[in-house]
Amino acid sequence: MTEILEKGTTPAALPPSESVGRQTWQAFRRNPLGLASAAVLLLLGLVALAAPLIADYPSGYGEDVLASPSGAHWFGTDDLGRDVFAQVVWGTRVSIVVGLAASLLAIVIGVLVGVLAAYFRPADLVLGIIVDVSLSLPVLPLMILVAALAGPSVPTLVVVIALFSWPEVARVVRSQGLAVVPMPYVAAAHVVGGSHLWVIRKHVLPGVAPVVAVSVVLTTSRAVLSEAGLSFLGLGDPNSWSWGTILHQAQRSGSLATAWWTTLFPSLAILLLVVATTLLAVAYNDARNPRTR
Amino acid sequence: MSAGARFVVRRLLRGLVTMWFAVTVTFFLLRLLPGDPALAVADPTMTEELRADLLRDYGLDRPLAVQYWEYLTQLAQGNLGVSFRQNQPVLDILLERLPWTLLLAGSALVVTVVLGIPLGVLAATRARGAVDRLIQIGGITGQSLFVPSVGVFLLYVFGVQLGILPIGGAMDDDVYGLAAYGSIAAHLVLPCLSLALVQLGSYVLTLRSTLIDALGEDYCTLARAKGLPNRRVVWRHALRNALLPTTTLVGLQLGFLVGGAVLTESIYAYPGVGRAIFEAVGQLDFPVLQGAFLMLAFAVIVANLLTDLAYGLLDPRVRTS
Repeated sequence: MTEILEKGTTPAALPPSESVGRQTWQAFRRNPLGLASAAVLLLLGLVALAAPLIADYPSGYGEDVLASPSGAHWFGTDDLGRDVFAQVVWGTRVSIVVGLAASLLAIVIGVLVGVLAAYFRPADLVLGIIVDVSLSLPVLPLMILVAALAGPSVPTLVVVIALFSWPEVARVVRSQGLAVVPMPYVAAAHVVGGSHLWVIRKHVLPGVAPVVAVSVVLTTSRAVLSEAGLSFLGLGDPNSWSWGTILHQAQRSGSLATAWWTTLFPSLAILLLVVATTLLAVAYNDARNPRTR
Repeated sequence: MSAGARFVVRRLLRGLVTMWFAVTVTFFLLRLLPGDPALAVADPTMTEELRADLLRDYGLDRPLAVQYWEYLTQLAQGNLGVSFRQNQPVLDILLERLPWTLLLAGSALVVTVVLGIPLGVLAATRARGAVDRLIQIGGITGQSLFVPSVGVFLLYVFGVQLGILPIGGAMDDDVYGLAAYGSIAAHLVLPCLSLALVQLGSYVLTLRSTLIDALGEDYCTLARAKGLPNRRVVWRHALRNALLPTTTLVGLQLGFLVGGAVLTESIYAYPGVGRAIFEAVGQLDFPVLQGAFLMLAFAVIVANLLTDLAYGLLDPRVRTS
């Protein structure tokens, strides 16, 4: 019974979702910028996975101190003679892991809050105020305070960044959810006796899925920037390398301004990742939207 | 009560709620985090007795609700505690630093707007052209910049290689009068530019899209139909309306701007609140970190309130909505 009604409530004009997915992919494939960004992200992901195969873990002391880039050290060496190329390669791993993990955690919290706010009107008032208020506060100083208190480590970074990144996700999901919830097919799902959980799972969540997809990408890039900021200030995991940690070491040793290679390459890595994620999100949005396809 | 007065009261209340939220979050984060606050104050070798004394001195043995009330009343009187390392009230330390942060953030905001408006207009009036594409890609790249990277780059080029601008600090020690202002301005250029470059991208992109929307509105079509020159339609009619949502965005991004200021000050050893945070992280000086967050939150809330009230005066739509 519900099956039939569910099919009946889907307007005939809307093609089934696989073909929407295929149309999006067809449009995305024609966008060189989007494809290039996806390739860059894939490459960075491979570097993160294959770090042990690409370079030895940078540790101890080397003989060439502050050597400029050469055949032996592609990205030069830092003040203790450690290879900057190896630092950037291993840093890719931590930066991406922290970025992804923090983003996924933030997405889970954000989607939960956003859907609840859009679905249950009384909750909307309270949740809306919390989200608004936390979006208007300076987040970085708050992250710094909590990270410093909790002690620097990779799990701390993930939790702290997620803890202060979910309101943005909740805001986006809520506004999309507010457009989905009053739809006739949601009302019809209630009429046929669907429970709240079932309606949310079957109708509201698929409705907000596209903005969540974009959110994952954008939140990850913001999380990478947050991680870099915290690590740069000295709140990174002291036992591993991340792009921000490399910059922190350069700042601490005073080679920041003179040995340009210690800062240029980690900076480029951050820029590459964030630009690629942003462009990917833009390309996906364009490909999904029939007007810009 | 008139609509205007209601608007002012509502915005004031909103600011108060936001500040209360910031304070409450800080209090509970500090108390609920794993790790005894007493451990943060003292070294781990102290005896159990001494620790109990310390907890009592700081009022940490009392019920949470009492502590919370105490915390609120202390803050309301401007008591942010005492720095662990400098043995000085946190408020005094930070008030000395705050003007520099306000100067840096304020000037960066002005530069962003001054550069952003022409760029946004340029992109919107040539929508989908080559110049527009270029500005869009530049905007997306700008949004993706990491503040310290920009800071180091500018410092290396203009401070170290060309040697035309100072590489750190806020002013020279031995200058007075007019020369002092010159010194302050020279020291401000690079930090301000670093911060403005990072802000510029999203400002230009937002202005571009709102301006394109505004140019498609009926009143712009009418203005053109009346034979007004295009320049006048863009600058006098469309831009005025496009600036409102754009400037709202600036208000929403103030928190982000302050975060950028913290990183910028760390790079340039600029003696603002951000640099105090950077130093406090190294020394694990928690009262300073906490005070700095609350003070920056307060500054952002007040700035937001002022911009909101200014809009209310400029645009009647804001008052009634």
